[in-house]
Amino acid sequence: MFDKFKEWYTNRHDYAKDWKKRKGGKVLGYFCTYVPEELLVAADILPVRILGSHEAQDVTEPHIFGMFCPFCRDCLAQGLKGRYDYINGIMISQSCLHIRQTYNSWVKHIPQEFSYYLYMPHGVQTPHAYPFLHGELEVFKNALEKWIGHPISDKDIDRGIEIVNKNRQLMKQVYEFRKQEEPPLTGLEAMYMVVSSQMVDKEEHNRALEEVLKELPNRKLNRNTGTRLMILGSEDDDTEFVEMLESLDSTLVVDDHCTGTRYFWNEVEPQEDRLAAIAARYIDRPPCPSKDWPERKRFPHILQLAKDYNVQGALVIQQKFCDPHELDMPALRKMLEENGIPTYFLEFDVTVPIGQFKTRVEAFLETFALPDLF
Amino acid sequence: MITAGIDFGAKNVKMVILDDGKIAGRGSTLTGFDLKIAVKDASEMALKAAKLKLDEIAHITETGIGQGSVEFAADSVSEVGANAKAGVKLLPSARTIIDVGAEEARAVKCDESGDMKDFVVNERCAAGAGAFVEAMSRALEVELEQMGPMSLKATEAVPMNAQCTVFAESEVVSLIHAQTPKPNIARAIHDAIAERVISMVRRLGITEDILLVGGLAYDVGFVDAMKRGLGVEVHVPEFPEYVSAYGAALIAQERAKE
Amino acid sequence: MAEIKYQTKPLDIWNEGKALRQQYYENYAKAHEKGGIRWAGGAWAYSAVPAGLGDDVWSLTGEPYGASVAFDKKFAARCHEAIEAKGFARDLCAYLRNYLGSIVLDEYVFGGKFPKPDFQWTTHICCSHAKWYQIASELEGGTPLFCIDVSTGLYQDFDERRREYVVNQLLDGINWLEKITGRDYDDEKLIQAVYNECEATSLWAEICAMNKTIPAPLDEKTMYSLYVFGTIMKHRPEAVAFYRKLRDEVQVRVDNKIAAVGNEQRRVITDTQPPWGFLEVFRYLESYGVVSVGSLYTFSLIGAWEVKDDGTWGPKTTPQEQGIDITTRRQALEILADWTHARPEWQHFYSAQKKSDMMLRIVREWQVDGVLLHYNRGCEGLSLNIAENRLAFKEAGVPVLPFEGNMGDEREFDLERTKKAVDSFLELLGVK
Repeated sequence: MFDKFKEWYTNRHDYAKDWKKRKGGKVLGYFCTYVPEELLVAADILPVRILGSHEAQDVTEPHIFGMFCPFCRDCLAQGLKGRYDYINGIMISQSCLHIRQTYNSWVKHIPQEFSYYLYMPHGVQTPHAYPFLHGELEVFKNALEKWIGHPISDKDIDRGIEIVNKNRQLMKQVYEFRKQEEPPLTGLEAMYMVVSSQMVDKEEHNRALEEVLKELPNRKLNRNTGTRLMILGSEDDDTEFVEMLESLDSTLVVDDHCTGTRYFWNEVEPQEDRLAAIAARYIDRPPCPSKDWPERKRFPHILQLAKDYNVQGALVIQQKFCDPHELDMPALRKMLEENGIPTYFLEFDVTVPIGQFKTRVEAFLETFALPDLF
Repeated sequence: MITAGIDFGAKNVKMVILDDGKIAGRGSTLTGFDLKIAVKDASEMALKAAKLKLDEIAHITETGIGQGSVEFAADSVSEVGANAKAGVKLLPSARTIIDVGAEEARAVKCDESGDMKDFVVNERCAAGAGAFVEAMSRALEVELEQMGPMSLKATEAVPMNAQCTVFAESEVVSLIHAQTPKPNIARAIHDAIAERVISMVRRLGITEDILLVGGLAYDVGFVDAMKRGLGVEVHVPEFPEYVSAYGAALIAQERAKE
Repeated sequence: MAEIKYQTKPLDIWNEGKALRQQYYENYAKAHEKGGIRWAGGAWAYSAVPAGLGDDVWSLTGEPYGASVAFDKKFAARCHEAIEAKGFARDLCAYLRNYLGSIVLDEYVFGGKFPKPDFQWTTHICCSHAKWYQIASELEGGTPLFCIDVSTGLYQDFDERRREYVVNQLLDGINWLEKITGRDYDDEKLIQAVYNECEATSLWAEICAMNKTIPAPLDEKTMYSLYVFGTIMKHRPEAVAFYRKLRDEVQVRVDNKIAAVGNEQRRVITDTQPPWGFLEVFRYLESYGVVSVGSLYTFSLIGAWEVKDDGTWGPKTTPQEQGIDITTRRQALEILADWTHARPEWQHFYSAQKKSDMMLRIVREWQVDGVLLHYNRGCEGLSLNIAENRLAFKEAGVPVLPFEGNMGDEREFDLERTKKAVDSFLELLGVK
């Protein structure tokens, strides 16, 4: 029943090309989940998050300094290799430096009819961020209208908010099932679900989610749940790793990834001023570490997730060279361990040494079995 | 006129003696710990081959990592400068010369007179080329000389992390544990190095003809990986590891005339 | 070796600068002895704002502090070990590791214990700034922290609405400063600090612009020791006084063709912070008559620039030169925000093209023959877009040498390899 998500994820380019043919709409490639998809959906544009392909490549070295993260490199490689040749435009919502580098190189070397850098504020904890982002969304909306050639009405925006909100609600409902003692879905399936929602038509994705939700209450997985783990870190769509992990008597029950909960956790709360409502949603969402200051608001959120999902241990993963996460990690691990949740750290690259990681994760999982010996 | 070039590599010291521009003798020895001994051995070997004495050489130019250690050298030139000069002499149509040695890779773009136009050297994270193949041959329990021919027998391309040799090494271990056939692993190793080198060369831009030199150019598996990765013909001269020394000798000849 | 063509002499003001810098770090360390206030934050922090708390307010800015640590390689290595032992990654900002390592060791690079600030006050433009002081605050047991988001985009887009975002944060910041220090805020002192900052940063640009002359009156290695006042006290009267004097002295050098390097035969620029422990690379270049006359970094990390009527870059006209009378807190903050966001070195956080254009402008106007790009593993903020800048130089036919290193962690800099690459570059420039 999760096959549809896997299929979309695997054949993302075919899907988008087909969508264009079917709907005759524009496709916008985007970086970072701070992009306000509501406005894109309102404009009948298909937002497609640019992700890597986890393959070795030799085309980005002229453009990206070697100590920038493997993810930003992998993304640019997809563009330079022409795999996103069907997109009509590209945009970024301001986040970390590394993905910004990818955007900068992309607009320079891969010509687009529309490109946009949204000045998403970093200071999401100051009250002044709300009017600031509100203003940025107005400027962005104007740019979109100019591109598509017609105005985006309040009604359109309402529809955009409704569709995207529904997608969030449905995915959250699916996540609810992961709280069960024997979750009826694996972490891998959940990963396919969320990542595919970043690349397909939200209405189609919603329909698939509704189907899944009908069947989930009666679904039984013929597997042992084992140790309940959460996975924390930056972008992560390393399905090979998750598959290996869940073959080791463990289940991923929740995450804090931008390819997971950070992407969909909170909704737009309707207000008369639609753009203010959208702005508030992005200011208030579970933050990327690059925006989580001066207070650490991400930590209590993570701890709450750990409690709600009855987490036994946490895998803290990061894209190699990802500074925002590296800056959070020591304090994050300390916080979790003080709360009785052991952590294990793994550094991800474009590909991971799966055999070596298996040995390490096995050792980590063994620590949960130890008390039973006595 | 007799001139010579001497090249300090990470692994070997190489010397080439020219008699009116024609190669009269070559010598090579392990760099080892004592550079002076290495210089003495390599030069004696080259002099013996050329049937010459040291004082008969009009001008000696050195290149490579240990510059300044040859007491009898008149001056020095960079490896990329030497490669440009030698590359065009060996293959007049060559415009990009890629040099892959034990530890470092470098590439130079040049004009028809063998003058350098631009160059690149590998970043630190991408260090380790020939030495990596050597270490991996031990991990695979295969003779070093067999690594190339064996990789040509690969039946499948196995993807491997190409950015960093430390990571790549642990991937090789994973592949061994997964009982991947040795030829496929050997190819993955060559592909990974080729990919790193090509990444670097792309910074220069790929301008044909391409000449591949340095010790790793002996490895047919690596040459094959370079051809596949670049998608264009890759030429390899005879005695590829002597190219820098040969270039230094050619420059010595120019400088002696000045 | 290149022949000596020009007369040269050391700067008269050199020792005065050295003393001023030393005095500053001492004033910070000893502030509490005289009832003064200490704060810490980034070199790009709005330092004029805490100045409204009084004349006895001293700051410790993290980046120049990190650079000072880098000069002491042994101490830097101990800082790195100390902070890595706390679980921090070694690829993080090298200044940050030098600074946080000092807190963990409880040692000040200028001697004594690490002088803990009374509060942290910083801006956030790269991924590390606010996080740096968040961690510093935690390591120090909870020093109060205020961070101002300045990631409002390119200056060409810095309209009133975006400026308001910054100004409103600063106004909040002033209330916060009053609350945590218990002092009344003096707007007159703020206004004076704004005038000072505008003048000091404009003067620095004026000094850098004099380096367009051949022979260059200053070399970049020397400029590193001079721009530092803009990073530690850009709002203070001492900085203004020093730069006025320096400007006059450099003018005399220009008028009398006094060179920084007597054998100048080729001019280069660099980019990003240098590997501080290895400035001998510059001396090596100079031995072949190759002089670094500056960089976008050295010119505009603090320098305030504008395009003059003839289309070239020159010092930005200050509010006082424009006859603007600053009378209110809000007006002072608006002027300061506008001034700050025009900073050239901030533009490249948003656009590779903008940075390439600015660097190519420097190549033209400063009569530059080649460019050295430091692929600085210690600072991702300033290395952002560096590979694209390299491509832009190639396209423009400007010889360029990328070399890898780290501004503050010597483990990542290979002097011999770099010298070898420099040799090849010298051959390319036709001087070796």
